[in-house]
Amino acid sequence: MGLDRRGFVKIVVGGVAGTLFTPVIWQSLDDVSIWSQNWGWIPSLNKGEVKAKAALSKLCPAGCAVKVNTVGGLPFAVTGNAANPMSKGGVCPLCAGGAQLMYSPARVKAPMKKVGEGKYEEIKWEDAEALLVEKLTPLKGQDGKIAAISGDETGTANEVLSAMLAGLGNTGFYVMPGEMFTATKGVKLMGGSGQPGFDIEGADLVLMIGADALDSWGTTVANQKAFAATRPTGGAVSAQYIYAGPVLNNTASVCDKWLAVPPTATATFSLALANALIEAGAVSSAADFGDYKALAAKAAAAFEAATGLKADALKELAAKIKAAKAPLVVAGASFGQGAGALDFVAAASLNVLLGRVGQQGGMTLLGNGAKAIASAADRDAAKDAASFLASVATGKATPGALLIYEANPAFALPQATEMAKAMGNIAFKVSFSTYMDETAALADLILPAPHPFERHDDALNPYGVAKATYLAGKPVVAKPVHDCKDPVDVLLAAASKLGLSLGFDTYADVIKAKASALGADYSALTAGGAWTGEAKGGPLTLGAAALAKAAPVALADKTVALAPVTRLAYGTASLATPPANTLTVRNTELLGKDLFVQMNAATAKKLGVAEGNKVKLSAAGSELKALVHVNEGVAADTAAVLLGFGRSAWDEYTKGKGDNVYKILTVSDEAGTGLKVWAGSTVTVAKV
Amino acid sequence: MSGHGAKEFNIKWGMVIDLDKCTGCGACMTACQVENNIAPVLDASNKLRTLSWILVYELSNKKAAPDAEIAYLPRPCMQCGNPACVPVCPVVATDKNEEGGIVSQIYPRCIGCRYCMAACPYHARYFNWEDPVFPKGMEKALSPNTSARPRGVVEKCNFCHTRLMKAKDKARQEGGNPEALADGAYMPACADVCPTGAITFGDLKNPEHKVHELAKSEHAFRLLEKLGLAPQVYYYTRREWVRKLGDNYAATGKAGAEKKHS
Repeated sequence: MGLDRRGFVKIVVGGVAGTLFTPVIWQSLDDVSIWSQNWGWIPSLNKGEVKAKAALSKLCPAGCAVKVNTVGGLPFAVTGNAANPMSKGGVCPLCAGGAQLMYSPARVKAPMKKVGEGKYEEIKWEDAEALLVEKLTPLKGQDGKIAAISGDETGTANEVLSAMLAGLGNTGFYVMPGEMFTATKGVKLMGGSGQPGFDIEGADLVLMIGADALDSWGTTVANQKAFAATRPTGGAVSAQYIYAGPVLNNTASVCDKWLAVPPTATATFSLALANALIEAGAVSSAADFGDYKALAAKAAAAFEAATGLKADALKELAAKIKAAKAPLVVAGASFGQGAGALDFVAAASLNVLLGRVGQQGGMTLLGNGAKAIASAADRDAAKDAASFLASVATGKATPGALLIYEANPAFALPQATEMAKAMGNIAFKVSFSTYMDETAALADLILPAPHPFERHDDALNPYGVAKATYLAGKPVVAKPVHDCKDPVDVLLAAASKLGLSLGFDTYADVIKAKASALGADYSALTAGGAWTGEAKGGPLTLGAAALAKAAPVALADKTVALAPVTRLAYGTASLATPPANTLTVRNTELLGKDLFVQMNAATAKKLGVAEGNKVKLSAAGSELKALVHVNEGVAADTAAVLLGFGRSAWDEYTKGKGDNVYKILTVSDEAGTGLKVWAGSTVTVAKV
Repeated sequence: MSGHGAKEFNIKWGMVIDLDKCTGCGACMTACQVENNIAPVLDASNKLRTLSWILVYELSNKKAAPDAEIAYLPRPCMQCGNPACVPVCPVVATDKNEEGGIVSQIYPRCIGCRYCMAACPYHARYFNWEDPVFPKGMEKALSPNTSARPRGVVEKCNFCHTRLMKAKDKARQEGGNPEALADGAYMPACADVCPTGAITFGDLKNPEHKVHELAKSEHAFRLLEKLGLAPQVYYYTRREWVRKLGDNYAATGKAGAEKKHS
């Protein structure tokens, strides 16, 4: 039987139809699509039991009480801890990517010793610790020869550092500049003592003067939770939020009102508001009320010229404050540092004028808290690192060794270039750092510190809390990713070798003692709880004597006020933008390697620049290059630039991107207080 | 999906995002990136190459200082009732056929033609131009919830679908009904992390879930409602200028008009 044409067609058609009815072809296609995407270089997922462990994540300055989710013991995500009264289940954008930061390419992987300019070699821990002791031994007992800078505002590590220095006959313990430092000095100028707190949760009108309280100021997440509680979605708004500051920032974006106040006019704004309140009937029993009233009237006369705002705006604001049952003024610098104590006093005095100190929803005062180490310096006696490095630069201070704990002074101090140069005058610099930051890159010895999920740590009274608050955490993982040691453990061991006993061998023991001194339950704290004390007030003056010395800032031609802008997601003074957060940076803020300077259309016109122009901002003998972005959310005669860019160390995700605003922040001495200030810096802007 | 009219389900997972509470902090974007194993890119300022399953837009009222106002608008996938992306997919790599109404994206089936990206008016879809490269060691911090995608495929937000599966499993283990999850039992990472609680998530059809009523509020609106894609993501604001930017006013010239609730 032959195969005719009809038979052939039948077989072919039958074959095709048959193939379509078998799963073979479809299964093969499906398999091919899977195989063609299943390459060895596509990372596969980790397997194992998923657990959640409580942790204290100190990646943000306030510290978030979080739950770290692990798979097979490896952290992979961070979620909120609803049981913690401070974080209440919220997480900030830095801590949200905390697990990934454990594997940051910028981490210091092992102890390193400088062997040449920009050259390091890895050494063993015992050699590193021996080198530290060897360098400190000859300096022991000579005051001014050993200094320490801490970038941690809340940890008991500061007690260990200051007590160790005191034990070695030195008093040079310094802190990186922050709100806590200037505010505590401000409280002193008002005749009080302690760290100010702000009961945002209990207030029905919150006026934030400068303080970016819903993004980068104070206990951000707790503030955000307090804000959110007053405006449930679909429900009635129970508190008003008003922001007065140079930039329509994240905080201002959700406020009921934004008042554009240039950074050079913060104190004038506060005092002019005081005048409006006094005119509306506010009186104070404070002894200096008469002088204060006169200062307020003077500020009111200068208000329109200094701020570019209309006087009616103040009247409206004063009426709202008068109508509120529990108004609160939150005082702070718009970028969390550099404002003088006088800006703080001017804003905080409004709470005194309104009788809101020590009240529910008012301003409170927090003491230093019980110490774990008796010989440690009091918290409110802290000295600032900017002044210290300025005296190193001029040769007034001549330390032989500098211990740098979790701080990045070479990047995050004003006139950063000079600060970095000043560090060159110090023969032996040790950086205890988790990441290879700009300061570590200048150090003679780099000692890797563990990531927050790998260490014991604590936080007492993060700046802004209304009542004494204490948090503590222990490691989430059994072993650090790299060859790290807790800096406090290293310091305690070094102290012991130098013949000094601080009574503890490990940081964990110090924290347990701290908890016990405060009356807190350590186990409850490390399980994710928090210890809180009472909210207290105290007698305060209106600070008129100090405010009388405030000098107004005049802007020269082609000069504008500089408003550095912080966004927590983009990092902090001691943390560059994490790889998981680079996505959140807008392309109107950073484009490729170019940073943007933002100004409103009127300012741009005045300066003769337009959208997209490349400009140079000059001040303090340094300059910063940027592209212009016209943004109506910037106050008059003000140039706003993001802080935290222009890194020269860290990793490929941040290095060389943008420019460092700290370079062009000009330090001046505040009249009357002698503090170093740079929040009112001005710059000249010129097209390139 | 034929593309004619919204497909209905007994459960409709949806969001109501309160724009008056969103501070634009970016925690949702970071949490999303972590949950869904999106690899960091070296130049994240090139927004044509980044993968942002949820993207926070900045809206402006375009007024001069000091009357300027801004608002932040987080944009996940809208999980449209009548998605524009589904009918254009030549290989059925994206579909809306599961109870809950989440628009799926099947990576191994995707051929990377990007028709869906062109069709989506919300720009919620992203193409992998590169293979995912994590810094050395960071693959140890990969989430077990989402597979890493190779280059050449399109991806998008799926309301953290693995979390839905896990919530259903948990309900089963605890003797509950996986098809009637309690409010809050299933939360995508963005809603979970948001420090101001701006994202309310739940079943739009379940009266016991907060979103059910919130979506009906006079302050609620959907983006580009006039297109008729029936998104399952609602926005909420008392600020009229923000609502107007959502394009909801186009039909009648009034904000809040033409609401179509399922």
